[in-house]
Amino acid sequence: MAVKKFSSKYEAAWSDADALLLCLDTGSWRTKRPVVNKEKCSYCGLCSIYCPPQCMVTKKDYFDPNLEFCKGCGICARECPRSAIIMMPEGDFTP
Amino acid sequence: MKAKEGELKVITGNSAAAYGAMLCRPDVVASYPITPQTEVVEQLSRFHADGILDAEMVEVEGENSAMNIVAAATLAGGRAFTATSSWGLVYMYDAVLQAAGFRAPVVMANVNRETPGILAVSSGQQDMISTRDAGWIQLIVENSQEILDTIIMAFRLAEDYDIQLPVMVNYDGFYLSYLAEGVRIPTREDVDKYLAILKTQPQRTILNPQKPIGAGSHGILTEFMELRYKHCAALERAKKKLDEIDCEFGEFFGRSYGGQIEEYRTEDADIIILTSGSTVGTTRTVVDAKRTAGLKVGLIKLRMFRPFPREKLIQTITGKKAVGVIDRSVCFGWNCGPIYMELRALSPEIGRIPIMSFIDGLANIDITTPHIERAINDVHKASKGEPYQEVTWIPLEEYL
Repeated sequence: MAVKKFSSKYEAAWSDADALLLCLDTGSWRTKRPVVNKEKCSYCGLCSIYCPPQCMVTKKDYFDPNLEFCKGCGICARECPRSAIIMMPEGDFTP
Repeated sequence: MKAKEGELKVITGNSAAAYGAMLCRPDVVASYPITPQTEVVEQLSRFHADGILDAEMVEVEGENSAMNIVAAATLAGGRAFTATSSWGLVYMYDAVLQAAGFRAPVVMANVNRETPGILAVSSGQQDMISTRDAGWIQLIVENSQEILDTIIMAFRLAEDYDIQLPVMVNYDGFYLSYLAEGVRIPTREDVDKYLAILKTQPQRTILNPQKPIGAGSHGILTEFMELRYKHCAALERAKKKLDEIDCEFGEFFGRSYGGQIEEYRTEDADIIILTSGSTVGTTRTVVDAKRTAGLKVGLIKLRMFRPFPREKLIQTITGKKAVGVIDRSVCFGWNCGPIYMELRALSPEIGRIPIMSFIDGLANIDITTPHIERAINDVHKASKGEPYQEVTWIPLEEYL
């Protein structure tokens, strides 16, 4: 069987914020979104490691959620050792 | 270059499994005790307490945690070992599927025992059969020496860059787990040498805190299919790889098991008996006796159940007049032996010859020499064109 070129470079279900595996519209599930306080963020990366769909993206000196995929579960806010992330209701943001 | 002969010790099959794992220097061992596997955990803990095993021993509250821990340990780049049996195996079932999907190169000894439904603290391969479609590589071994050697080979197979799959090494509970027999223990240095090739291979993807990526995320649309395809392709490669690894093991350690299958007196045989596990030893003596009596019978020992060694079986069986398969488990729904059912799938290639299923040895019923002789006689009659019964439950025959 001839297979066209694989789209994922990985052998298993590895993924990151830019990866092809994040193709489900999990962002639409969200009722709250994480808001990162850049001043407080020490760029430790714990939020990124704990985020289930790996959607905390590095912005050089802080992390920010990729809202296309963030489900609003709040684990990042819970794990942040500096309380730099708070969960804000979606209704507070204009669409 | 040859390995040193190694110390000869009289040890149980469980102890042989623990020795095999210890010699491979795992980084993490997580296992929950269950009859008839408990001694594996005890022995590994003893090795750890004695300072022989430098691994992180994780005390878990159940098998599900054990499998999740060892799978995660391999994803972090470590070498990990666990052992279970029966209820333990089904209690970790979701994690068993996860480990395969993650392509986590875990090595697990599964000490075959009957599964829940009818409580039986006794031998049978039904536990292994219940996970056949989990995506693991499943090997079945015959004696204590083969348990030790196969666990070493299993690490080579699991962690190979071209494979990256979990490997389950199955051996009969009670019959092998508690049977003490002479086993050559290879030296650590020689096992290190045998496994050294893994270090020369490219680095497989592992978790790296410097560059966070996740394992096991949502896989929808075509990516999911792509990963399933890659998984099947790796299983397909595993067949030839096991042959190579076994051959290399033979050249170095002086013991070889034939890779996917072992053939015994099959070359000029008219009829074949296909079986696996500890039953193979008994079958070998019956085959010898039948040969002395002038019957051309051969034996195939199935060492690899998943992936199923179809090319090897087609090659060996084509041209024979009849085949009998002795199974120590059942295939519900088809209501025959599972290995028999798998072999039947090869009928188009093998040709229209009688293929017969013999179910025996469930829940510690001994598969005795008269039982095997009975099976061989039935297959012999079928090979001469006599009508035959497709499925025979040997120990129940007189009641049926």
